[in-house]
Amino acid sequence: MSTAVTTGRRLAPQAGEVIDRRAPLSFRWDGKTYTGFVGDTIVSALVASGVDVFSRSFKYKRPRGVLSATFHDPGCTVQVGDEPNVRAAHRRLAAGMEVSPENVWPSLKFDVGAANQLLGRFLSSGFYYKTFIKPQRLWPAYQQILGRFAAGGVTAADAEHGYFDKRYIHVDVCVAGGGPAGMAAAVAAAESGASVLLVDEEYELGGHLRYGGDADLAALAELRAEVAVHESIEVMTNAAVTGRYDMNWIAVVQRQPGISVQGHAIHERLCKVRAGSLVVAAGLIERPYVFAGNDLPGVMLSTAVRRLVNLHAVRPGDNAVVFTANADGDACAQDLRRIGVGVTVVDARTDANIRRAEGGKRVKTVELADGRRVDCDLLVTAVGWTAATPLLNMAGDRPQYDATAARFFPTDRLAANVVVAGALAGDGSTSELVAHGAAAGATAAARAGHGSEVPAPALARVPHPELYRSTTHGIVDFSEDVSSKDMFSAKKEGYDSIELVKRYTTVTMGPSQGKLESANAVAIMAEAHGVSDFNEIGTTVWRPPYVPITLGALGGRGFENTRFSPMQPWHEQHNAKPLVAGDWIRPEHYGDPAAEVANVRRSVGIIDVTPLGKLDLRGPDVPKLLNLLYVNKWSRLPIGAVRYGVMCAEDGVVMDDGVTGRLGENHYIMTTTSSGAATVWEWTENWLQTEHPDWQIHVTPVTTGYASMNVAGPKSRELLGRVVSGVDLANDAFPYMHVRTATVADIAGCFMWRIGFTGELSYEIHVPAAYGLHVWEALFDAGFDLGVVPFGVEAQRIMRLEKGHFIVAQDTDGLTLGFGADLGWCIKLDKDDFAGKPELVWQSRRDDYQRLVGMQPVDPTIVPAEASQIVEGTKKIVGRVTSSRMSPTLGRSICLGFVEPRLATPGTIVTCQLPDRRRVPLKVIEGLAHFDPDGARMRI
Amino acid sequence: MSTNGLGRRTKYPAKYSAFSLIKHGLTKADWPQAWRKHELKSSYDVVIVGAGVHGLATAYYLATNHGITNVAILDKGYVGGGGSGRNTAIVRSNYLTPEGVRFYDRSVKLYEGLAADLNFNIMFGQMGHLTLAHNDSSLRTMRWRAEVNKLEGIDSEVIGPDDIKKLVPYMDTSENTRYPILGALYHPPGGTVRHDAVNWGYARGADVRGCEIHQQTEVQSIETVDDRVVAVDTSRGRIATSTVVNCTAGWASLINAMVGLKMPLVTHPLQAAVTEPVKKFLNAVVVSGSLHVYVSQTDRGELVFGASTDPYPSYSMRGSLAFTEELAGHVLELMPGIAKMRLLRQWAGLCDMTPDFSPIMGITPVKGFLVDVGWGTYGFKAGPVSGESMAQLVATGITPENIASFDLARFPEGRLVGEKGAAAVGH
Amino acid sequence: MIQVPCPWCGPRNSMEFRAVGESKSRPDVSTTTPEQWRHYLYTKSNLADWVTETWYHRAGCRRYFAVERHTVTNDIRESRLPAAQLRRQSDSGS
Repeated sequence: MSTAVTTGRRLAPQAGEVIDRRAPLSFRWDGKTYTGFVGDTIVSALVASGVDVFSRSFKYKRPRGVLSATFHDPGCTVQVGDEPNVRAAHRRLAAGMEVSPENVWPSLKFDVGAANQLLGRFLSSGFYYKTFIKPQRLWPAYQQILGRFAAGGVTAADAEHGYFDKRYIHVDVCVAGGGPAGMAAAVAAAESGASVLLVDEEYELGGHLRYGGDADLAALAELRAEVAVHESIEVMTNAAVTGRYDMNWIAVVQRQPGISVQGHAIHERLCKVRAGSLVVAAGLIERPYVFAGNDLPGVMLSTAVRRLVNLHAVRPGDNAVVFTANADGDACAQDLRRIGVGVTVVDARTDANIRRAEGGKRVKTVELADGRRVDCDLLVTAVGWTAATPLLNMAGDRPQYDATAARFFPTDRLAANVVVAGALAGDGSTSELVAHGAAAGATAAARAGHGSEVPAPALARVPHPELYRSTTHGIVDFSEDVSSKDMFSAKKEGYDSIELVKRYTTVTMGPSQGKLESANAVAIMAEAHGVSDFNEIGTTVWRPPYVPITLGALGGRGFENTRFSPMQPWHEQHNAKPLVAGDWIRPEHYGDPAAEVANVRRSVGIIDVTPLGKLDLRGPDVPKLLNLLYVNKWSRLPIGAVRYGVMCAEDGVVMDDGVTGRLGENHYIMTTTSSGAATVWEWTENWLQTEHPDWQIHVTPVTTGYASMNVAGPKSRELLGRVVSGVDLANDAFPYMHVRTATVADIAGCFMWRIGFTGELSYEIHVPAAYGLHVWEALFDAGFDLGVVPFGVEAQRIMRLEKGHFIVAQDTDGLTLGFGADLGWCIKLDKDDFAGKPELVWQSRRDDYQRLVGMQPVDPTIVPAEASQIVEGTKKIVGRVTSSRMSPTLGRSICLGFVEPRLATPGTIVTCQLPDRRRVPLKVIEGLAHFDPDGARMRI
Repeated sequence: MSTNGLGRRTKYPAKYSAFSLIKHGLTKADWPQAWRKHELKSSYDVVIVGAGVHGLATAYYLATNHGITNVAILDKGYVGGGGSGRNTAIVRSNYLTPEGVRFYDRSVKLYEGLAADLNFNIMFGQMGHLTLAHNDSSLRTMRWRAEVNKLEGIDSEVIGPDDIKKLVPYMDTSENTRYPILGALYHPPGGTVRHDAVNWGYARGADVRGCEIHQQTEVQSIETVDDRVVAVDTSRGRIATSTVVNCTAGWASLINAMVGLKMPLVTHPLQAAVTEPVKKFLNAVVVSGSLHVYVSQTDRGELVFGASTDPYPSYSMRGSLAFTEELAGHVLELMPGIAKMRLLRQWAGLCDMTPDFSPIMGITPVKGFLVDVGWGTYGFKAGPVSGESMAQLVATGITPENIASFDLARFPEGRLVGEKGAAAVGH
Repeated sequence: MIQVPCPWCGPRNSMEFRAVGESKSRPDVSTTTPEQWRHYLYTKSNLADWVTETWYHRAGCRRYFAVERHTVTNDIRESRLPAAQLRRQSDSGS
């Protein structure tokens, strides 16, 4: 049992506080129970309870506390339940939260102070490149150990996926950043008549005004009221614009949006926004200062202190040193004095400076540049700003450094549909920032087609001391534990460009992605190179996302295409085993594929072949098209006849096959393989639209317009005779390879053709899709006494293999030209033109290509796995098995496969190596068919 | 500048070891430069365009195996800044054709000895490589690869869902998913390296042996006389040379065009992404061709993702949102439990795709202009063997047998490489 | 995601389309040589510049059309009917 921990760090009510003191919450941290209030972040509640240390650093295991008190705070990443890497300085407290620290070795409290100073000497940047080289066999062991140092939280193999969602938004203006300029921009755009999406990372609009003084709070109230009156402004808080992509395709992540799906709260939502204009009002991020001890708990940015004090009413320390170079630092000192904290101000504008901070689990002493030592438990720095330019960077801009103002500014190289507002553009009072934002908002609206542009009033660039590093070395990247000394060393080793130093030291590559670190990294590199103009150093390219986004939100709900035939309910009722075939889910079998084969060969079976590609071709020029697409001839196909055809691509490689039948004078139906349906349709349209727009042909894809079923077996005619009307089914009236339109089970508009993929008398019936299930059931009802049973894809595969019918892309591959697939009988090189003709002409003059042959293992009980290799000697490959099955009809194993031409003579014995490395002899047979090679059974 | 706290510098070149690391830690001495800067000379025996792994390895092996050191490696950016520093650093040799298997196996063997050869830890972790099959046609292709691999003595086997689950407990191997996992090609020697380390190690090795690396040196034109290379004009001046090796990726067509050559190359962006780190849970490289995704976890704990190339050709290296959406959706199909992990960063590199998923290596109709291009999405794993083979070609003038089938002439002669076979067989 | 201006449907997200490739003219199959034919099959200009290429509006009107796109910026300055259709239009118009 643990007891609740409380201390007296909570202040009396503050003017702008966001906590609800009437709503206490209980939660757990590191195994103990704590309390906070609604409105607290995890960190503010813990600081109020006296907690200083939230993690240990990545490399040197130094204790880390609050630095920025924002989402980007590198030391405040925690595990909440099954969610790793939660930003505890941002995430609001919820009742019962189970919060634990992530990187705590050896423990959160243990002081490793002395040891890590020593470590730092040896674990210089890139140390791992320089060691563990020999003996190489030990590297895997070293790697195991290094892996244990990995930062971050934990995941679980069986964790719940959780609920996530997506939303599309179309607005005229998207505003990134809800500070004074962003709010003003949204209002101005709305007043111009534009629809607006206003996005802010925090839980409320207002930016820095929220933790400011009375005047700031008054201005904030006014701005919020103005935003609220505009219905055309949608406000999205606790959300961030994570990326600006080509043509203002904008990603917004909405965290815990307070909506639910089927009773489950959405964890995150990805909003995909197509915006006419993007206003970037992302503001400034306060920059840490680099000096020895700058990562000690108790060393904080001025904005962090002001957030803790003014938003969460938390006293961050008792004795403070405030190192300030600007008005925000001064205001922070004032806030601290107001709440009774002792303050020593070190004013950078008078050339005062700090040299180092000392302490263990908390800062104890600050050594100033003049040698004085001041004891304190809080060291505040206010040394300047990093412009939050990533979105501008993604829009093509390369911000330029201004030494006078000591920060980067956007250039005018921005795309026209991206407008900058507020502090990114310069400094100003609240009203000046509001005026600038309003002009930007109006301009953005105008560029999206509403109102007219308003020139933005110039914002000053207020001079600011250039403060990046003191005279000591300190941490530059807090998430990666990279110091300024590491960067100097890297530069001296030749990793001297910003990109190389980034990769070598990993500076800016951690979870905050450079938001706190990049300006300092550039400054340190400039110092190492001895140049004063940071623009000579450049910056690394900011890449999306601006803030990390869950895989769940990016993935969203699955919308993968899945297709079923109209007979799917029947298949499920009859225990069909599903087979994923591209988009389609098909019955693989209904329990026993060998029995299904036997039944078809003995009496009659029915298979659902709806996924077969079907194109309805109409017009007088269809024969020209067929002649172009297929390798064989089509000019004289009589009405009522069907023909098998093979298509090759322009490189002569076998692309698809199927039958096409002529239903009327100018009406044909083409079938394609299931997987080739879309490709063949596009291929057909390509020829018609880009080569022969003069041909009179209309192509309609009807794959799912018809439900297709193949009734196969010696009794199929008898079965169909009971349900088909309007067609004489007699062999001479409706012979093999012919097509008839028919009424089947009272459904008109069906067509059926006699073909023989299975090698039996069979009829493929195509039924208007809505009646598919009806006809299917009618066939089974009518054929009950004939012993009709369904068969699945597996039985069909066995039967087609018995017949030696090849399957494109199984018995051929990406380099199989027409003649290699034993298609010489149907390739008509005397046609003027057809797709792939030149390659086939040249192939016909060669004799060096592998041939598709039928093969039978000499031992009839052995079924060589498909893809077993045909070999000679120890490892020479001279062919392979492309298809193999045990034939229930023949009682022996049968194969198709490729062999070298010299081995293709019937009777040749070849050697096949099985996956278990056994070698077995196979005999090449005459032709491809193992069963009924003359096709007598199909013609009865 | 005086206060950086760094002391004296050890002499060049340094030997890297745990001992030297401790010595430097104690004496606080500076490490010498990993590679040096040079003035651009007016002529070199060999000019290599592109300071990526292929160019640097070519220089390294020219110096190491053939004693040719009057070599300049030119790059318009910095060492390893192109595809060599943007790939997902997967190394494997489980290809489809015997030629491909032998070629990439040589690369794996070189990678296995590379840390010692270069005295630079490239962190080659052979944690094993799984290529998942979600339908019977891809399972058949996996078996095809496994059988060819076995004949070539490569450790490669088709395994079933239960064994996959043992190797990757996070994998959803249940049957009722949209893309059920039927099996996988398991290739134990496959794994990942630290790509930057390979680039830097080769750069340091080439530099130590006398080759010169010139960063920020852009090739602007190539001079030829009677279809023979005579000089290269760069942003830093003209270099007389009789041999130019195009080792670029992404910009290979633009360098080829400088000597009037067009090749079967199409440049597509290839995107990749990493997540925030979490504690190590994935101890294999996992690839799904059907779902267009590959994933591994670094020693730092980040998941590294790759996917297929962007759907239209482009020289743009801006990432796209659609890529991350599709990627995340497919990763979660495989491992639903990691939905709350966060994507940290995405980036893109450029890939020069060829029609048969194989590179173009060797001589061209322009004498003295050699190419090592068209590396598609698989160039990094071939860096060492490509460098070794190209160096041999440059030094001897004879095309090594192991790259003979990758010649440019195969296209007009209709001899495409068989790797196209597998790529076109289903998904 | 870039938007592609389909001549029939207007600007649509690029994922609705398939990029077919550089526009090329097919050699006469009766006279072509292996070199010419395989140049047509395989060789690309692959310019880092404005290129004319063919796109297909796969999830829309299912029409092929020509696009002028800059392969560095991905900007599109024009889309129009395929060359064969334009020729046919001008033939029938004159």
